[in-house]
Amino acid sequence: MDFILEYYFDFSILSDVDGWSRILDGFWITLKLSILSGILALTWGLILAMLRQLPGKAFAPVRFLTIAYIDIFRGIPLLLVLFLVSGSLLAFQSEGIIPTALGLPRFLGESEGFWWGVISLTLTYGAYMAEVYRAGIEAVPEGQSEAARSVGMSHRQAMRHIIVPQAVRKVIPPLLNDFIALMKDTSLVSVLATLEVVQVGRDIQSETFNGTGLVLGALLFLAVTIPLARWIDYMIRREQRKTQRGGAPAKPPTGLAGA
Amino acid sequence: MEATAGTGRTEAMLRLEGVHKSFGDLHVLRGIDFEVTRGSVVCILGPSGSGKSTLFRCVNLLAPPERGRILLEGKEISAARGEDLDFVRRRVGMVFQQFNLFPHKTALENVTIGPTTVLNMDPSEARKNATELLQRVGLDDKLGEYPERLSGGQQQRVAIARALAMDPQVMLFDEVTSALDPELVKEVLDVMRELAAEGMTMIVVTHEIGFARDVADRVVFMDEGVIVEDGRPADVLDNPREERTKQFLGLVLEH
Repeated sequence: MDFILEYYFDFSILSDVDGWSRILDGFWITLKLSILSGILALTWGLILAMLRQLPGKAFAPVRFLTIAYIDIFRGIPLLLVLFLVSGSLLAFQSEGIIPTALGLPRFLGESEGFWWGVISLTLTYGAYMAEVYRAGIEAVPEGQSEAARSVGMSHRQAMRHIIVPQAVRKVIPPLLNDFIALMKDTSLVSVLATLEVVQVGRDIQSETFNGTGLVLGALLFLAVTIPLARWIDYMIRREQRKTQRGGAPAKPPTGLAGA
Repeated sequence: MEATAGTGRTEAMLRLEGVHKSFGDLHVLRGIDFEVTRGSVVCILGPSGSGKSTLFRCVNLLAPPERGRILLEGKEISAARGEDLDFVRRRVGMVFQQFNLFPHKTALENVTIGPTTVLNMDPSEARKNATELLQRVGLDDKLGEYPERLSGGQQQRVAIARALAMDPQVMLFDEVTSALDPELVKEVLDVMRELAAEGMTMIVVTHEIGFARDVADRVVFMDEGVIVEDGRPADVLDNPREERTKQFLGLVLEH
């Protein structure tokens, strides 16, 4: 029992190897990875969802390609995407397809592994989030788009002003769920020599034969994910209360419309 | 542009010639010929499933017809595509049974969103017009309210103002009082009476026989995708020629 406590909760050992600041630095990278990829994935997912909704025969190839993209990136492991993405630029540059002068991505003082991580997380989570947005768009009643079109709005205007704002409101909770999953998956970027919090915890573990660094990392994750999860629950409950009250005072009956 | 002299006041605002519409195997409209003159009010009666709503969706091209022609102010619109389509919908105002207000926008925003996005109207001008329109339908104290805080009758009046904001040539009313509690029907019908009195061209699908009798210039009875009877209210409602019309009116007037 003592051994268990010592192995997981010996915070004094962290001081010996500068563990506190190393873990915090690592978690700062985790946070930056999460927030940057999260914002990009939210945007990319919305773009994919819109492409998938384009009407008419002319856009059939766009719809097909979008669906193929979503199926592929939802269907392969993020780890595999990370290896594919991180290896590809070097390969393309050595073949001369991409000029070497462009160099490796090292924007804003972050490592290349960091940026490969951002790209991979965005590609993969964009696909997940596109599906969430789509569910939201399909949950907006058909009457809304009919009403929008009957005041003369084009498909694009109706999407932008009427459908998407309502759809996004409906899917904020599932989007945040995906964000929590994304945040946890940033730990995979450690395979690209990025010193995010899990990698730092492992380093400390092998230096000290003690798991407390990893436990501290876990606590930092929970400090973000548990409040987020509570907040999501609160939003869902609030939405349920609203719909159970009946929403509008005079709720119209359904199924009366003539053919 | 206004119509030139000669074609005058009795010109057809809207004209349908042999309009057919199917959804898969379901042949909903089976050849509709029908004309509405400028400034007149036509009420359409008929049992549910007779094709009334589909007729409206054809006229504003939400569901364009497969065969036949639709002419608005003498100009064929049934072949409209892309931007022409949006142009047509602008000139044809539509009010729905379920109101279909935009729930994330206030009453005022519901009315301004069309003019500002579609007509690129200056926002302050759009607000001024919208306020006047909401005043006309008796809701100037509800400008900032969201639809969920309005009664059905109030929502439907906002919906009418929203359609009017696009300055339409024709207004289509699709069973606009059917989803309302009985005590809220009158306030909506009153707004429609006023509109009719101001000379708006209106086509009204309704089960409100009293409204049809008072306001309509013509009453049309539809059944199974065809027009069964078409004439003055007094003729169609009180002395129907067709057996089907008599049966239907018997059912509607019973209660």
